Amino acid sequence: MISLAEELTLLAVEDDGRIAYTAGSPNFAMALVGACLVDLNIAGRIDIDLDRLRVLSTEPLGRGPQDLVLSLVADGTAQSAERWILELQTRAPDLVRLALESLKNRGILHVAEKRFLWALRSRRYPIDDGTEQKEAKLRILGALLSDDLPTSHDSILIGLAVAGGLLEAFLSRAEIARLAQRISLIGGLDLIVRSVEAAIRADAEVRAHAVMLSIH
Amino acid sequence: MNVTQDTTDKTTTLHAAGRLDFEASAGFQKEVEQVVAAATAGGKAVLIDCTALEYVSSAGLRVFLVAARAAKSASVPFAVYGLTPSVKEVFDVSGFSRIIDVLGDRASALAKTGG
Repeated sequence: MISLAEELTLLAVEDDGRIAYTAGSPNFAMALVGACLVDLNIAGRIDIDLDRLRVLSTEPLGRGPQDLVLSLVADGTAQSAERWILELQTRAPDLVRLALESLKNRGILHVAEKRFLWALRSRRYPIDDGTEQKEAKLRILGALLSDDLPTSHDSILIGLAVAGGLLEAFLSRAEIARLAQRISLIGGLDLIVRSVEAAIRADAEVRAHAVMLSIH
Repeated sequence: MNVTQDTTDKTTTLHAAGRLDFEASAGFQKEVEQVVAAATAGGKAVLIDCTALEYVSSAGLRVFLVAARAAKSASVPFAVYGLTPSVKEVFDVSGFSRIIDVLGDRASALAKTGG
């Protein structure tokens, strides 16, 4: 079974193998860090409350992105999940690379490089076995279109996909607008996802403040 | 964490006390699932008494979603009550207060679930 971080990364791979442009955003970076934290939480390596992230065990999971995050939080100072997410967003390129490697090793996608004009390189990740990506999308849609309470996993996946701007990759704006109430109700019923949302807000405030200062 | 339970004709109540963190969550989840299964067979409501629950972490919180989901799919009336301020804050921040019946006291919870 693929991890939540791999699942989120897979949602960022478009049909033609390109990585969605939203995957380059700070929001996706923080959602991906959050996905790694959820994976580590479920595996009993960390636990989280409103004030602090606690490391319970430093034993690696044998999964690239999660083990990188675990090593960083284990070596760092004690602070809230929100602070960790803000701090670790700069490691998103490493996390994406490790997640893609893991997906490649599982035979879910492969790497294809193309050259344009002899110099410009383009790297794509065509999906070989689309089952996992389809399942993730179907689970999200199933949970959103149902009246049932979602599983914890589906609620977290929806929350992180929304936070990371990935819903737009497979739902139209009109559909997202129609489902907005349901998304708000069942998406991200989890302290780590709420920490991702708080980190995204804090990050946006810092950026807005910087813009305002540059104007005056 | 310490969990006890009592059962009446119409209701089974789990009394949760102490800290519901990762270490405690698996045991609590097992107990909750057993109680919901028994309540389904016996046609009872399930309540979780949180008056002595001091702490809930992200791992512990997920057990409440498992419980609410299992109860809803089995048409078992379900509610939690007596949340301490710190646990209530966790429920509010996470959004659980909007999907689970959270009542102030046992009487309100019994009235809500028909217990």
